[in-house]
Amino acid sequence: MKRTIIILCIIVLSGSYRSSYGQLYFTKNGKISFYSTTPVENISADNNQVLSVLNMETGSLQFSLINNAFYFPKAKMQEDFNENYMESDKYPKSAFKGNITDIGSVDLSKDGNYIVHIKGEVTMHGVTKNISTTGNIKIKNGNISATASFKVLLADYYIKIPTIVTDKIARDIEVTVSCNYEKKSSN
Amino acid sequence: MRRKSRNLLFIFTGLALCSFVIIYLVWNKPHREVKGADSVETDAISLYNSFTSDAAKAKADFLDKVIAVSGLVQAVSVNQQQQQIVLLKTSVPGASVNCTMEQNRNKIKQGDKVVLKGICSGYIGGDAEMGIPGDVFVIRCYLSM
Repeated sequence: MKRTIIILCIIVLSGSYRSSYGQLYFTKNGKISFYSTTPVENISADNNQVLSVLNMETGSLQFSLINNAFYFPKAKMQEDFNENYMESDKYPKSAFKGNITDIGSVDLSKDGNYIVHIKGEVTMHGVTKNISTTGNIKIKNGNISATASFKVLLADYYIKIPTIVTDKIARDIEVTVSCNYEKKSSN
Repeated sequence: MRRKSRNLLFIFTGLALCSFVIIYLVWNKPHREVKGADSVETDAISLYNSFTSDAAKAKADFLDKVIAVSGLVQAVSVNQQQQQIVLLKTSVPGASVNCTMEQNRNKIKQGDKVVLKGICSGYIGGDAEMGIPGDVFVIRCYLSM
């Protein structure tokens, strides 16, 4: 009897693991952009080398990116971003780890746009902060794409802006994430 | 007295103009040249293994440098900015040297042997628990051979 219960438990647990694994989506070429707007200058940059993993079963979501892969329209902006603001040598990566709290509201079998709520931690410039925001998950023919935006206050991450350029760089930066996911094969 | 003032005015105007030109040139300097730059030669398998086995050495050898990486094309796709993505095969299943091309006119296809020249931006670890290995990323790539 005891043995039967143990075997049943193993079957149920392995089944739920496989089910969770079967709902795993990822991309290694997601996009993160940021936009700073001031009356003096607008600055934007894109990074198309974002690794993201989304578990549609549990709602767990993560992103990671290399800071020096951001591409700016001007080389000098890029140099200042990596050397003076993000200190990319010292803090090479940024990351997000969190959850889609209402993942149950997304029906993978039904095409459409689903507004979801996201909570988690952003780690940048060696500082980790909690954030919460809303995102949009689009389902089309079983394919998943997702977008989300949130604001980052530079002072929260101890990113110092030299006084000579304070009027050119916004105190808070709009960050936009956009990913087209592919399903993780079960092998 | 008047001549002295005029000379000073010329000097200040000249200095201001020079400063403006220097600031303008620095602010608008072009992005780093990749296509014609000297490069560190490697292959996709060695490059990937060096980042996963000895990250410190790999960073010293390749990070932020122009590299020419040879390898077998595993897959070709397009990112959200319509840039061509070429994945070069490594010895780890599911892991690649992930190259973002600067130009989209390359007729690269799966199975081709290529040499791509670009800037190595580093390695992002995947999720080992979920069976998703990381990639080594190379950006602003050109087809070298």
